[in-house]
Amino acid sequence: MEAQIQQLREEALHAVESAATLQELESVRVKLFGKKGSLSLLRRELAHLPKSERPRYGALLTELQRSLEAALSRRREELRSAELQRRLQAEAVDVTLPGRRRLLGRPHPITQTLQRMLEIFHGLGYEVAEGPEIETEWYNFDALNTPAHHPARDMHDTFYLSDELLLRTHTSPVQARVMEQRKPPIRIVVPGRVYRRDSDISHSPMFHQLEGLLVDRSARFSDLKGTLAAFARQMFGEQTRVRFRPSFFPFTEPSAEVDITCVFCNGEGCRVCKQSGWLEVLGCGSVDPEVFKAVGYDPQEVRGFAFGMGVDRMAMLLFRIDDIRLFFENDMRFLTQF
Amino acid sequence: MQISLSWLLELIPLDRTAEQIADDLTMLGLEIEELRPRNPGLDDRVVVGRIERVRPHPGAQRLQVCLVNAGSRSVEVVCGAPNVRVGLLAPLATPGARLPNGMVVQEMPVRGVVSQGVLCSARELGVGTDAEGLMELAPDLAPGTSIVQALGLDDVVLTLSITPNRPDCLSMLGVARELSALHRVPVKKPEILVPEEGPPVESVTSVTIEEPDLCPRYAARVIQGVQVGPSAAWVQRRLLAAGLRPINNVVDATNYVLLEMGHPLHAFDYHLLAEHRIVVRRADVEEGIVTLDGVSRHLNTEMLVIADAEKPVALAGIMGGENSEVGPNTRDVLLESAYFNPVSIRRTAKALGMQTEASYRFERGADPEGVVPALNRVAQLIHQLAGGRVCRGVVDRYPQPVRPVRVLFRPPIANEVLGTEIPASEQRTILTGLEFQVEEVPDQGAFWVTVPTFRPDVTREIDLVEEIGRVYGYARIPTTLPVGEYAAPVVDPFWRFREEVARTLEACGLYEACNYAWIPEDALDRLRVPPDDPLRRQAVILNPLSSDSARLRTTLLPSLLLNVQENHRHQVSWVALYELQKVFWPREEEDDPPEERWSVAGALWGEPPKHWSAAPGELDFFDLKGVVETLLEALGVPSWEVRRTDRASFHPGRSAEVWCGETRLGVLGEAHPEVAEAYDIPGRVYLFEMDVEALFRCARREKRMSPIPPFPPAMRDLAVLVDRSVPAGRVEERIRAAASEILADVWLFDVYEGEGVPEGKRSLAFRLEYRSPTRTLTDREVDEAQERILAALREELGAELRGSS
Repeated sequence: MEAQIQQLREEALHAVESAATLQELESVRVKLFGKKGSLSLLRRELAHLPKSERPRYGALLTELQRSLEAALSRRREELRSAELQRRLQAEAVDVTLPGRRRLLGRPHPITQTLQRMLEIFHGLGYEVAEGPEIETEWYNFDALNTPAHHPARDMHDTFYLSDELLLRTHTSPVQARVMEQRKPPIRIVVPGRVYRRDSDISHSPMFHQLEGLLVDRSARFSDLKGTLAAFARQMFGEQTRVRFRPSFFPFTEPSAEVDITCVFCNGEGCRVCKQSGWLEVLGCGSVDPEVFKAVGYDPQEVRGFAFGMGVDRMAMLLFRIDDIRLFFENDMRFLTQF
Repeated sequence: MQISLSWLLELIPLDRTAEQIADDLTMLGLEIEELRPRNPGLDDRVVVGRIERVRPHPGAQRLQVCLVNAGSRSVEVVCGAPNVRVGLLAPLATPGARLPNGMVVQEMPVRGVVSQGVLCSARELGVGTDAEGLMELAPDLAPGTSIVQALGLDDVVLTLSITPNRPDCLSMLGVARELSALHRVPVKKPEILVPEEGPPVESVTSVTIEEPDLCPRYAARVIQGVQVGPSAAWVQRRLLAAGLRPINNVVDATNYVLLEMGHPLHAFDYHLLAEHRIVVRRADVEEGIVTLDGVSRHLNTEMLVIADAEKPVALAGIMGGENSEVGPNTRDVLLESAYFNPVSIRRTAKALGMQTEASYRFERGADPEGVVPALNRVAQLIHQLAGGRVCRGVVDRYPQPVRPVRVLFRPPIANEVLGTEIPASEQRTILTGLEFQVEEVPDQGAFWVTVPTFRPDVTREIDLVEEIGRVYGYARIPTTLPVGEYAAPVVDPFWRFREEVARTLEACGLYEACNYAWIPEDALDRLRVPPDDPLRRQAVILNPLSSDSARLRTTLLPSLLLNVQENHRHQVSWVALYELQKVFWPREEEDDPPEERWSVAGALWGEPPKHWSAAPGELDFFDLKGVVETLLEALGVPSWEVRRTDRASFHPGRSAEVWCGETRLGVLGEAHPEVAEAYDIPGRVYLFEMDVEALFRCARREKRMSPIPPFPPAMRDLAVLVDRSVPAGRVEERIRAAASEILADVWLFDVYEGEGVPEGKRSLAFRLEYRSPTRTLTDREVDEAQERILAALREELGAELRGSS
């Protein structure tokens, strides 16, 4: 009996090891453990043994069964893993082939620039206000302290629709419109399209401005400086410096033009900044008392500041675009770059 | 305005470089456009030459051979200039000299005669634009003098851009005054002394002002017996540096004073004035004048003229007339110094399309108190340059004296406005430095400030605050943030809605386009818009840049079609654009501003970049419709329907309008082939345009959650055969109508025609989702629902169940 058990062990282990697939392994298992399997047959022979020997051989058979089961299970695991391995290998793709990209459109670079600007001013407590693109002489000029026949009108070459109506030359008329309807405190930014009769590499007859207006009881020129310096640093980077130069706008007093350090040469001096190291980016100033009077505010009671900047100009600086006309050609090769 | 640095530094001696001066002026508010050396690169090999003898060139009719005195020696030069004459002083470039055009002068034969140099025009020398003949140099120059020295080229020219509020800075003294206030160094004003040797001026002329409103002041002097000729070199140098061409000593003197003091002056030939007197009046109807530029001008009664007893002799404050011009034969001159109404000058100059040095200054505001000093200064100069006897006294008509402005100024207010702490004493110093007169108001900490009449821009306290800030230095003003109260910012719902429209279209693969507000004249013709269509009523710009940029858009589609056209022209193979902008609709009442309405339009054309694994396929109507549907869904437009449309711009079988109830939201479709052709676009182009404001009205404002269904759905497919002419939308509508409330959703997943489907029919396959919020559905009730739907489709649309046989 002992020899039989030993023989079965050797044969069975060999069969398990040599099974090449899970199916073969299964038939090995049936041959061993099935009703007519080798192990069952041996177990039946126990009955022919003397009673005293049965426990010993019984124990031997049980041990044999455990070790064969363990061998089967180990082998099954091996085969399964090898099979998976083969399948995975067969399923490999060329990972260098391009993926299926979603064709996402993008906002126009001017819009992207504006979004960035608005985000900054929103953080500074400003809300967006808008106004009509077709304006009256009154809002575009007179309410902004620019009477007819004032030489300051030469600063804006205007498109007219009638004696009274024109395409606004700046977003500043919205200042007056908002102040007429609201009491201070006011903090608004006004994005929009503006129009001037001018066309060349750096002038477009239509362009975009962002106007800002703050009115409260105590706004100071120094606050204007701080506000725009904070804006410039967020817009163009922490290293950006700003320079305020006295200038003239009929609707601000004192007035300033603002330069930032040239983004092309970091202020070293280059062709774009005409070696000055500075780029003019916006005009601003404290709100002129005449403007307050025109909208029915008491200039003794309120103070404010206003600023206006070209969004297109900002976009040109941000994206290093050298010809303003590119914005309006809508060439896909241009638009898909941003 | 161009100014000479050496002249400026003579008026205000500062130990500063050109760059530092430029920086000073910039930070005072006088913008520097350009700073450049006057010398275009000439050296001592270009000298003053004096033509001593002229003989014809033996071999060429047009050329002459000049013997030129170059100081230490004489040379022979071949020359073809028309103004060659004995005694003329002209620039002589000797061998080795390099001219700005790159030419290096060499001794070389010209048609057989050796030319030992080149006589130059102003253009050749790079010091002027005149190329007509040799540059005529001042007669008081010594032959052989280096041209650099003779023309004062060792100088720097600053080009200033002066804002319209600062007419006082349109002069050397004005600019010097600014630097004086900044550096607290006094200006060295020229001393004005007029030697009066002639008879009393009142005995030789008179001035009558008929229009005191337009001409508040007019002063005149007369100088007898002048010798008109070229000016001295020092005068010419300064005029040239400022970009003015020297003419003769009398005219040059008026221009010199214009540059120095900023006050425009005019000289008349006294003997060409009828009755030798001046009348300042409006032009008569039908009156005309030939101005000094040789142009004959028609005047009207709005225009102010300077006349003699009979006729206009000058356009007041703008330009003199040819009929009284000072020329070589002039003996006696009448000098005008006046102050004119700025608006009147501006209107006349605009009406005549003229802008002169004089009008530019008068329309910004000259100094009424500067009238007589400028007159005296020019008399002094003419006497010095052209001799003669100055008549005694000045005719000074000043019917409406200009009162200087007095302003109460509080230094603490300046500090409050600027955010500074500038001591009152320093503020006072700044104001006096700018020639404001300051008196203290006792015990009030305030000043009475008298504004000089050359500062028309300063009339209020706030204007003085700006002066303080400017001279104190904007750079020194602190950088702070506002501390005042503010209201919480509000986001406009319509703004946010437009952002959603834009972001959704971008997610659909469309790029944002940015087009002008106008479209070409024929744009709507090309779009096949019928003549009576409301789109044809466009607002029009009266003064457009061109006739193709005059008509404001009532639709965004033409701009997008032009964009497709341009992209195609540049061989771009694919266009996916949208634009979200205003269109302009004129109102019935012409004087009312047109209505501005937000519109959104898109265009799809060409072959989008294809993935290597995708089947080849062209863009079609459903790519376009998918964009529109995605948009409507994203915006939460609750229910919309599409209806066929017969708009002429579109393919009649492939276009539709989108409606939400009774509101038309927009249109979509393939452009009519003739539209594509008119825009030179090959292939099919797909367009949509939606009214953003209508979308906004229809869109669901607030989103509300519906509970997530707790019970599982039952899915059923239903494929039916219907006539091809039955719209799929109708079938879906019937399914929804016939189903009970347990039908949660239905969507079309397959459309099939061809083998297995009878001719004229098509198969539409729908997937139906049944669901109850309260229980799990039984097969039986779902089957019953399916039966009901099928029965309804059979009855109403003649549908058959596909594959039921």
